[in-house]
Amino acid sequence: MRRVWCAAVALLVAGCGIQPTGVTDGGEAPTGVAPGVTLYFVGADGELRPRQRDTGGLGSISEALSLLLSGPGGSGLRTGIAPISVQRVGVTIEPGVIELVTPLTIDDVTPLGIDQIVCTALDTHVRSGGSRDMRVRVRFTQPTPETDELRTCPLIR
Amino acid sequence: MTRRPWLRGLRARLLVAFVLVTVLGAVAAVWSSAGSAGGALVTSYQRQVTRTIGDQIGAIAPQLTYPPDQGALDRLRATVGANALVVYGDLRSADGVDTGLITDELRLAVRTGDRLVTQRTVVDGEPWLLVGTPVMITASDGTRTPSGIEVYAVRDLTGVEREIDGLTRSAITTAAWALPLSGLAALLAAGSVLRPVRELRDTAGRLAAGDLDARSPPQGADELAELTVTVNEMAESVQTSMAEMERMRADARRFAADVSHELRTPLSTLTAVVEVLADTTDGMEPDARESARMAITETHRLVRLVEDLMEVSRFDAGTARLRVEEADAVGAVRDSLRARGWWDRVELVAPEEVPARLDRRRLDVVVANLVGNALRHGEPPVRVHVSALPEQVRIAVTDSGPGLPEHVVPHVFDRFYKADAARTRTPGSGLGLAIALENARLHGGDLTAENTDHGARFVLRLPRDPEEPGDPEER
Repeated sequence: MRRVWCAAVALLVAGCGIQPTGVTDGGEAPTGVAPGVTLYFVGADGELRPRQRDTGGLGSISEALSLLLSGPGGSGLRTGIAPISVQRVGVTIEPGVIELVTPLTIDDVTPLGIDQIVCTALDTHVRSGGSRDMRVRVRFTQPTPETDELRTCPLIR
Repeated sequence: MTRRPWLRGLRARLLVAFVLVTVLGAVAAVWSSAGSAGGALVTSYQRQVTRTIGDQIGAIAPQLTYPPDQGALDRLRATVGANALVVYGDLRSADGVDTGLITDELRLAVRTGDRLVTQRTVVDGEPWLLVGTPVMITASDGTRTPSGIEVYAVRDLTGVEREIDGLTRSAITTAAWALPLSGLAALLAAGSVLRPVRELRDTAGRLAAGDLDARSPPQGADELAELTVTVNEMAESVQTSMAEMERMRADARRFAADVSHELRTPLSTLTAVVEVLADTTDGMEPDARESARMAITETHRLVRLVEDLMEVSRFDAGTARLRVEEADAVGAVRDSLRARGWWDRVELVAPEEVPARLDRRRLDVVVANLVGNALRHGEPPVRVHVSALPEQVRIAVTDSGPGLPEHVVPHVFDRFYKADAARTRTPGSGLGLAIALENARLHGGDLTAENTDHGARFVLRLPRDPEEPGDPEER
């Protein structure tokens, strides 16, 4: 009888405290470090081309887009976005949608230029740990029908 | 295991069983609830910590230069908070003393894996949560590769443990409240079971003591009530058969009494005729004389048998009365022997005088029967030993014959008991010793038979001052 009581008490005590465990999985590891940011320009044949810009870190979507708006530089690539003095892009991330507020009008960009913006934003989002299934909405300084379109990048599926 | 005496009672056993069941149930409930609550608490705290750390690292990682310099590592470590360690190659940024707790096991899992991992450890009785994760580089197509940056964090679980202890304590306290309640319930249940049992026991006791009218009223409709009903039915049937038996016995006695009474008158006539016959045997032929003598003997025997039967009937009917008088027991025995002409054949050992209050006629019947038996069945010398005890007169009749066969001793006072089935033609009625025993009991005394080394011995014990003559029916 005494043994039964001892076992019961031991069981009770063992059930109370926090027990050591082995190594257990705690989920996805964080990500987001990168030697640079990837910008999308237009190649010689009119195709989208990713280009690595070694900035030392990944940075934010807004920073990446500012770099994109500042042009391809001396890389031999073209851009579908007209040069503009103000390069700040507002970025809002909602569930499933990245909304970009550009300082451009619809006339400043070719359709390929919109893809450049969308791909650069999505690329940065994915590399900082985001989902690849995000849609991108690009807003211009004036409301246009294209504004409400939810876009994806043809290179990032 | 020997059962302790206090555990034998039904009440104690019920109490112990109830309390035991309650304690076991409470222990199980406390253990399971406190265990699961504690587990949930730890798990949720752990999930919250890992998510926070993962989010913090994920938020600052894009702002870090890569490959990182010492400044970047310090920023990352500061983001994760106190007790953190960030390693990249030979560079390391540490804060807090507790990073020494990080196990090699965890380091290996972080270095070789691509997942955030956790481990709980207890050092010096204090619980700690260890979190480790590599920081990944994600390519544009979503593939992840380790960046070589490892982040470790150590979090104190003492607070969580204190919360769990509090939970357990309150659960135990709640469970402890159930103990007195269960004891109370056990006492009530025991009472409700024990009351009918006690009543049944009392009823059974009264039945055993002869009170055949004893019944206990059944209460409720449970098994105990059924048992009570059964006991009542049993008492009823016992009472009925006892009454039936009593009636039959009374009938039998009355029949014997009636028969012997009815035989008396014709026997008186027969006796008178036989006496006339006895006077005329001298002139008979030898054969006829032999037959006449036999008829005379058997008639006398018949008369004695009927007298004995009537005496027995009086005892049975309870009409036998004791007539006590102041008398000398020795003198009474001596007179009895002299009257039958046995004075020369019997050795009387007695003090001068033993005064007592007794019924002389009944004493004479007993002494005559015992001494007659001794002379008839035993061998001389036959000794009658009268002695005076403070409260009793003891009269022992001893012969020097073969003694009583062992199987006869228990039945020697039975009516019509024949020790030797072949020896049927003894002069006695077969009722002598039964009547002697009844006479002894009527005095409030006793008569016993036993064997000595030399023969049989019958011992009569009579109180020197009998109480009110006992009714033989009530013995």
